[in-house]
Amino acid sequence: MLSAAVRSTTRLLRLCQNARCFQSAAATSSTVNAAEIAHFSRLSSLWWDEQGEFSLLHRMNPVRVSYIREKLLEATCEDQGEDVMRELESKCAVLTGMDVLDVGCGGGLLSESLARLGARTLGIDASESNIGIASAHASGDPQLSSSGNSLEYRHTSAEQLVKEPKRFDVVCSMEVIEHVDNPLAFLSACAQLVKPGGHLFLSTIARTPLSYALTILAAEHILQKVAVGTHTYSKFINPSELISFFQTYRSSPSSFSIPTDSGHIGSDASRRPWITRTYAHGLPTRSEAEVRGIVYLPLSGEWKLMSRASTLWGAVECNYLFWVRRPLDS
Amino acid sequence: MTFFTTPRPLARLGCRRRLFLRSFSSERARDNDIVIVGGGPAGLALAAALASNPIAKNSLKITLVEGGDLSKIQDWGMPPNAYSNRVSSITDTSQHFLNRIGIWDYVEHARTNPIHQMQVWDGISGARITFDASEMPESSEMARMTENLNLQRALLRKLSDTPSVHVIQSVKVESIQREAVGRNDWPLVHLSNGAILRARLLVGADGFNSPVRSFAGISSYGWSYDTQAVVATLNHAPRGPFQAPNNTAYQRFLPTGPIAFLPLSPCTSSLVWSTKPHLAAALNKSSPGVLEQLINAAFRLPEPSLQYIYSRLLEGAMSSDEIKQEIMFRERSDGISSHSAYASATSILLEGGIPPDDADALPPLVTSIQQGTIASFPLRYNHAESYLGEGAGNRTVLVGDAAHTVHPLAGQGLNLGLGDVDALSRCIIQALTHGGDIGSYTALMPYTRERYFENHKVMSAIDKLHKIYSSTTQPVVWARSVGLEVVNELDSVKAALMMNAGASSRLQNVSGWDLFAKGVENLVGAAGTSKMVGGMVSAGIQELVKQAGLRISGRH
Repeated sequence: MLSAAVRSTTRLLRLCQNARCFQSAAATSSTVNAAEIAHFSRLSSLWWDEQGEFSLLHRMNPVRVSYIREKLLEATCEDQGEDVMRELESKCAVLTGMDVLDVGCGGGLLSESLARLGARTLGIDASESNIGIASAHASGDPQLSSSGNSLEYRHTSAEQLVKEPKRFDVVCSMEVIEHVDNPLAFLSACAQLVKPGGHLFLSTIARTPLSYALTILAAEHILQKVAVGTHTYSKFINPSELISFFQTYRSSPSSFSIPTDSGHIGSDASRRPWITRTYAHGLPTRSEAEVRGIVYLPLSGEWKLMSRASTLWGAVECNYLFWVRRPLDS
Repeated sequence: MTFFTTPRPLARLGCRRRLFLRSFSSERARDNDIVIVGGGPAGLALAAALASNPIAKNSLKITLVEGGDLSKIQDWGMPPNAYSNRVSSITDTSQHFLNRIGIWDYVEHARTNPIHQMQVWDGISGARITFDASEMPESSEMARMTENLNLQRALLRKLSDTPSVHVIQSVKVESIQREAVGRNDWPLVHLSNGAILRARLLVGADGFNSPVRSFAGISSYGWSYDTQAVVATLNHAPRGPFQAPNNTAYQRFLPTGPIAFLPLSPCTSSLVWSTKPHLAAALNKSSPGVLEQLINAAFRLPEPSLQYIYSRLLEGAMSSDEIKQEIMFRERSDGISSHSAYASATSILLEGGIPPDDADALPPLVTSIQQGTIASFPLRYNHAESYLGEGAGNRTVLVGDAAHTVHPLAGQGLNLGLGDVDALSRCIIQALTHGGDIGSYTALMPYTRERYFENHKVMSAIDKLHKIYSSTTQPVVWARSVGLEVVNELDSVKAALMMNAGASSRLQNVSGWDLFAKGVENLVGAAGTSKMVGGMVSAGIQELVKQAGLRISGRH
């Protein structure tokens, strides 16, 4: 047990990096970085080795799912009252029947969990081999393969999907945005895929001295646990940048119009932006958007979702989750 | 790439490939979420715990496989005053758990007996510690003596009302293999009736020689104590009107092993006597009327007298009268008055009257032994290296005796198993609410994190207890006795120990027995301090303690 604990501690940094980098880029055709995809596809056969290079990602998964559940329950409570929320919670049915899109699904870690919770899940990835791995893995699980069309994988990108009429109650894109070439175009593609009143969940790394020290300096150059070049510091995204994007982002009038190449689309003044108010320190109100840090605790071998109160300092310096809701009336 | 330079995954892959070659088609296999191998208390309790949760009940397909005939246990019954010889003390924590999963109502309460007090004393020095439930906050009883069959029957009755759990009995597990390539290499359990069960999660609740543990390639470490436990159900007179009722457990630590007296009803109690194998064999085959006298003597006579009687016993079978003469002789030569509670052969206590002052310090005198209840079994210490299978053994988890076997001197085996089941069922339900794959290592990791060190702590405390009380070396006896007496006399220290345990009891599995374990840790500490004291008094004693320490640690 002790050796396991030590092992997991020493592997922390490189796994953290490897895990993230394999969530390969699913982005607009113009933003897909061909070199990155090739790099990740070679490694993707180890996606489902839980004690292998991806162990940290496997451990992060329950935290992501519980955050998604928590926000959806909160929204249910706001829209339909507490009784409905309690019932959904006790039946574990908050995702049941929802249309969910997992952008950059990788080996399907998150997609499988969402499908098990009853969501009609579509996982997309720009890497064809990832889609192959994810489909093969799900087919071995009778729960996922027998329940009809509840879990589906497609080799495509968010920007391609926008051209189709289908929109989703929940769009997730975990550890992807820091790998795409044009994050603004990627963000607006994801946002366009959300139904009115739907939810967008992102997770990424903040651009701070701490994250540079952990993810690039230590992991790639000093410990050499991760191939040099896995991460690019300048591609990391700060929570404030996501917030300011959605402070100006307005949904286009027609929910499935072809997006323009500019980051900000459909700036129709009659529609309100996704984030209308922020507190004095720049954080959004809880019903519109939220930033929550996630921190790996090497001693217990778990990721921990930081409390809302700790979002200002320390907790969001490295990995964080971001949630924003599309206004119902837009 | 980094992972190619890591030897572990490669070794594991190679191992898995070999298994693939041996495994065969899984087309006939029936899919299950959980296959539990073993229908003992731990396996049954896991099935019941999961079935009691609405989320798990609606989403999990559970099959339990048992080689034995469970219907016999389900229909088990005994006359009111006859008791099975396998009993366990169900701690408060375990009882709460059984209550929560709806089992406790199925237990026949009239056949259980609460323990309000425990008296433990040193076989050589007589130093004594008393744990009383009234000193513990939030609890009226320390534990409840329950026949294992009573609990197992309750679990089976509950499960027979639970259609969501499929119980297969009188069918053996012939082999466990891993699925062929192309699928997700789940375990396939081949049964003697030809059926094949495909398991998302395979639970080994299959006891000390766990086939699931060998399939998962989990090694375990441990040893056999040079000790056998002799068990029997004892009849005795009820406690007199001036005495406390029969709710006190007694345990005397003899150098050959502890002897315990566990109350089952006003006039029946259970014996667990751990002793050297040759002595256990002699006790086991001693003629009627002999064993009860030996039991009475073992709780009462000084250690040298006991040694003498054992040597006589080992020389050849003795009749009931011969043994009585020997014990009477030793009682006279040890100066034990016939009015004393320490007298057995010469005692006049059975004739009634006012009991002596020290009557509550000893168990009642045994008058006879229930027929067919004398049995003995070897004692072991064994702990699996891990509770979760990895690599070629993944999707397996161990609970109960398959994961750990302990010396029964603290009656903890069953409670540790129920603690495992509680943790594992919570872990599985947690994974379900997060959409996790309940067979995955990630989903099960919280279980092993919660239980491994917890179990290890209790197990090593019990082991240390066994070792420290096996010694007859004077400084060790002195140190352990002083430690015990001091803790017993300093009410504030004892209360602090208990408060500490009580305060955290909601969060952790702390019970009276845990207190006991803490007491033992203190004793072990005291043995350590005796080195210091020895240094102050004389270098000679220090040397003795060192040697004693070496001898203790070198024994195993």
